[in-house]
Amino acid sequence: MPKNPSNLKNIDRVIHEPTRLMIMTQLYVVESADFLFLQHQLQMTPGNLSAHLSKLEKAGYVEIVKEFIERKPHTALKLTKEGRSAFKEYQQNLEQVFSDLSK
Amino acid sequence: MSYHQDGLLDIFVGVYILLFGLGILLLTMTDFSTWFVIPAIFPAIMIPIWISAKKRITMPRIGYVKFGVRGANKLMAIFLGLMVAGLGAFMVFGLGASMGEGWALTLRDFFISNSMIIIGIAVATISSLFAYTMGLKRLYGYGLLTLVLFFTGYFIVIPFEYFLVTIGLVIIISGFVLLMRFIRRYPLPQGDKINAQESV
Repeated sequence: MPKNPSNLKNIDRVIHEPTRLMIMTQLYVVESADFLFLQHQLQMTPGNLSAHLSKLEKAGYVEIVKEFIERKPHTALKLTKEGRSAFKEYQQNLEQVFSDLSK
Repeated sequence: MSYHQDGLLDIFVGVYILLFGLGILLLTMTDFSTWFVIPAIFPAIMIPIWISAKKRITMPRIGYVKFGVRGANKLMAIFLGLMVAGLGAFMVFGLGASMGEGWALTLRDFFISNSMIIIGIAVATISSLFAYTMGLKRLYGYGLLTLVLFFTGYFIVIPFEYFLVTIGLVIIISGFVLLMRFIRRYPLPQGDKINAQESV
């Protein structure tokens, strides 16, 4: 048993879901990416990716910018300031959980 | 997935090396020095074409990503490091040679008599640095090819320009193979499907 299981409660469940964690990880290391790029990188169906992005947008973690480039629709995605700090916090909390386990 | 797996960079670099080789070849054949204008103005003409090709071929297939400044800084640091080191070495050498220093003259003679090997090692080192920084393993291959050809050129007397033409052609062919593979692997999404996909 972890010494302080309450640390697990601090884990952000919006980010913790594996698919959303992959999306957040991808967007964390870049400035911005578009829908097609993420779809290829994560090998996801458009519907699935779309649903997870909506949840991240609702949580305020991802900014979705819809625009037209040469008359074609284009969706640019980037982590918001809150998204970046939430991801850092998630990483620290997870590290804390594992650190407690090894004590 | 890399933005350079489409082979476009290889095609453009290959064409540049080929033109450079052909420029020297035509210079030796015709004694017409303006052939050197071709490789000199090449980047100015080809960079906009390369960007346009990226927009038309690569981005619609694999999407677009804007990387942060960290990666660019790493590449820039290597560029600047190489430039400063090269410039520094050249200045020390130039100063020594102009003062008639024995070591500088010996070094100059050494460079002249071993130029093929020195250029080969320099190109292989630079290619390896780019391969490492950009994560493009095929650049190690190009570097190795240059090294082998230039080492061969040291022992077999073949004009330098033929090596450039060979390297340029190999890189162009490799680029086209990569481009064909890329287009087959990432077909263009249909217009309607794109609209459906992006209905976030």
